[in-house]
Amino acid sequence: MKASVHAPPEATVLIRRRRVRPTRWATVRHATQFVLGDRALAPATLLLLALVVLAIFGPLVWSKDSLGIDIGNTLQAPTVTHPMGTDGVGRDILARFIGGARISLLTGLVVVLAGATLGSAIGVMAGYYGRWVDAVLMRIMDAILAFPPLILAMAVTVGLGVGVTTAAIGITLTSVPFYARLLRSEVVRLRTLPFVEAASALGATQRRIILRHIVPHLSSTLLVQAASVFGYAVLSLAALGFVGLGAQVPTPEWGSMITDGMQYTLTGQWWIGVFPGLGLLVAVTATSLISDRLRDILDPRGQARG
Amino acid sequence: MNTPVEQPTSDDAVLRVQHMRTEFVGDQGVVAAVRDVGMTVNRAEKVGIVGESGSGKSALALSILGLIEPPGRIVSGSVWLNGRDIPFRDDREMRRIRGKEISLIFQDPMSSLDPVKNIGDQIIEGIVWHQQGVSRRQARKQAVELLQDVEIPNAERRLHDYPHQYSGGMRQRIMIAIALANEPSVIIADEPTTALDVLTQAQVLDVLQRLVTERQVAVILITHNLGIVAEFCDKVQVMYAGRFVEQSMVDEIFYRPTHPYTEALLESVPRPDRLERGILPSIPGSPPNLARLPAGCSFEPRCSVGHGKQICKEQVPVSLTVGSPMRPVVAECHFARERFEHSAQHVEGAPV
Amino acid sequence: MLRTVINKLVGSVAAIFGASIISFVFLRVLPGNPARLIVGPLAPASSLLSVEKQMGLDQPVIVQYGRYMTSFLRGDWGFSYGAGVPVTTEMASRLPASLELGFYAFLLAFVAAVICALLATYRYRPVTDGVVRGTAFFGLSVPPFWFGLLALLLFFATWGILPGPEGRLSTSTTPPPSITHFYTIDALLHGQLSTFVDAVRHLILPAITLGLAPFSYLVRLLRANLLDVSREPFIIVVRSKGIGRFLAFARHALPNAFLPTLTAAGLVLAQLLSGSVLVEKVFNWPGVGALVTDSILRQDNAIVQTFILLSATAYVVVNLVVDILYGVIDPRVRIS
Repeated sequence: MKASVHAPPEATVLIRRRRVRPTRWATVRHATQFVLGDRALAPATLLLLALVVLAIFGPLVWSKDSLGIDIGNTLQAPTVTHPMGTDGVGRDILARFIGGARISLLTGLVVVLAGATLGSAIGVMAGYYGRWVDAVLMRIMDAILAFPPLILAMAVTVGLGVGVTTAAIGITLTSVPFYARLLRSEVVRLRTLPFVEAASALGATQRRIILRHIVPHLSSTLLVQAASVFGYAVLSLAALGFVGLGAQVPTPEWGSMITDGMQYTLTGQWWIGVFPGLGLLVAVTATSLISDRLRDILDPRGQARG
Repeated sequence: MNTPVEQPTSDDAVLRVQHMRTEFVGDQGVVAAVRDVGMTVNRAEKVGIVGESGSGKSALALSILGLIEPPGRIVSGSVWLNGRDIPFRDDREMRRIRGKEISLIFQDPMSSLDPVKNIGDQIIEGIVWHQQGVSRRQARKQAVELLQDVEIPNAERRLHDYPHQYSGGMRQRIMIAIALANEPSVIIADEPTTALDVLTQAQVLDVLQRLVTERQVAVILITHNLGIVAEFCDKVQVMYAGRFVEQSMVDEIFYRPTHPYTEALLESVPRPDRLERGILPSIPGSPPNLARLPAGCSFEPRCSVGHGKQICKEQVPVSLTVGSPMRPVVAECHFARERFEHSAQHVEGAPV
Repeated sequence: MLRTVINKLVGSVAAIFGASIISFVFLRVLPGNPARLIVGPLAPASSLLSVEKQMGLDQPVIVQYGRYMTSFLRGDWGFSYGAGVPVTTEMASRLPASLELGFYAFLLAFVAAVICALLATYRYRPVTDGVVRGTAFFGLSVPPFWFGLLALLLFFATWGILPGPEGRLSTSTTPPPSITHFYTIDALLHGQLSTFVDAVRHLILPAITLGLAPFSYLVRLLRANLLDVSREPFIIVVRSKGIGRFLAFARHALPNAFLPTLTAAGLVLAQLLSGSVLVEKVFNWPGVGALVTDSILRQDNAIVQTFILLSATAYVVVNLVVDILYGVIDPRVRIS
């Protein structure tokens, strides 16, 4: 009974319309209508969009320099000139907040793209070729999974040197097994389905089978996974930044901004540490809401789990 | 309401359900799964409830036991059991009645037993609960006897086994043992053989049949399998969209169905003589959306007789009792009388 | 049964082996020349060479890997140049604080998760369920270090109800004599009630902060499992025997829902391990996590490396134990 709550009538509309070969614009329009009609997706997507818009266009509207030191105006509480206040050396927090949004969202995006590409390549190869390819690739994935994720990301940055790039590499590496395992099992399942066997009986090459017949079926699985990895990436980058393994001073990165704000928080200058954390909270909450909701919609089996 | 089929031996009644109405709240609004339904079951009688899935059969079974969970609720109704009205909506009171006077055998033997508890504990649980002062050892002995009664070999030893170590048919017989543990007067068996193969089905039904005779327990058999009803039951109630649309003795229904829905159900059973003709008729359309029932007869959109007729579209049919007082047929159809009389003229020459 | 255990053991050993290679590559091969780190950037080439020889860096990579692993397994984890003592000593002195915090964080998370999951599923309560799900969602989305900071801002700086980031005890309180190294237990064992209260007060915020993520994870899992199990027909069958709702829940739904939760133990440990690095610093908790954060800033790599290796080891071991334990507890796995 409860499961049916998750199936909005809009979903059927979307599917039905798709059958009559819509124009690309119509698809976008229907997708938008669908998202806006959803109680959970609408606010989450709008929040995330707001952050994205802020990250892209923020610097055009808010021209203050995120690195500009102003010794005369240190530790200012939020005012009209500094809506989020200033930090210990007089830098404008809003400008740094926008800079942080850029770094976080961009890193999240890069990690998701890189991890998804690498992970699905590995997963599809392991699942499709089987035998020793599968064995070797999956043992490597097991080895990566033998670490607590954040700890492995730490190891990578220790090895490659601290910084946003190496942190992103570390986080990407830890996310690869998620995709690989998921896609491998999907491919193994799909490979035995009649339509793939039919294609191979018709003499299609393996590459063709993978690209034309298997990969399209994985897109929804991939999408859900990517959305949840995005939140994980943003949070991990901030964690690495917080302990000093990610972005280095004076880069405006949310995690390291919180580290910076720690010493001031207890003496009353709460705004230095609180705002970047809020940014993180919004970004991560929005993406996990989206990924949860997508999972419910795209995977009917998971619906009952809510 | 549905008038229960009044039997000549009605002093013998053990269970009488009246005005039962059960609703579920879903995203389409309130859905009535059971709509003001009544029935009577006599001692050692075997009553079949048939209908498509979603017709409200299981909801009725759970309603009688008072086991409807929110967001579902029992709106009205009364249950009379063993000579008195029972407070079937009071969970606390029902704990003393469930499993003792009326018990349940549930659909799927795979998921009807707790997978992490052994069979012995699951049988004993009900015995210890209802029989005050019974030691665990005595309860164990009873459990062994019960298992022997349902023909489980090596009962003593197999008490310690877990559900997954039994076959489907054995599990279903264990379910019967659990239901019988406290000698109830009524057992509700909800699709007890659906998940089993034909041979196992027959075995399980044999066991059930023997126990009915030996222990004089009444059985309400809920199923969509008309073959089982024909073989096992004395009386049939056909359920459609939360109502009993036809109630009569088993041979009556099979030889001359009065309600068009019953007829359609019978025709959709695969049988060799029909298969030769190469077609297996099915009922057009699908079961009605219970949230948006038609204004008139709920079967009208799919009915071969009444489809499109003014009266069927606009008026809800009342129960009509036709047939002899000894073998009454109750049907909710505007054309019940005509259909009954018409079939009476044909029945002699044409048994199905 | 024995076969599955052996299979799992082999799988785990393979995973540990792979993990040790990964850690060797990232912690020993890629960071460049560890000898240079020891002798300093200005040392002459001759002394660099002798240290390299001494450390075996002139040997083939495989031999180096062998040495690396044997010294790790022997507990020879190197020297902390930042603290001026062997890593083993430094770790050992910091471990009790982390263990105590981790223990209470886990206890809190577990108990709270069980209670909340029961509240959300025992009866049909859409509002309670919504609140529990929302909290869990928040707990998995919020950066723990920021949450800790916020907690300090409110409970210490603003309301002054709880102590600030001053470690395990107030500066005026002397630690109780060591028996278990858990201040709370030691204080009780010696009947020092005020010390006990002080220790507890200092534990509240860090434990909640550290426990938030495991709590959220566990409550989500338990809630979903309980919902699934309570919809199983066997619960209705149990109820049809006359067993009350509570007993049916306690005897049948809970054990069935708990079993799969056991497999989450590894993940919870991972959350506690990485959480300790993120949270201890915020509260100046004198544990291993804070030591690691400090060592990162001081570039005291021996400590960081050891922590990473130990975490991975603990993680693998816990996962293996859980796998085997699961087989022992679940009758379906146990017998087949």
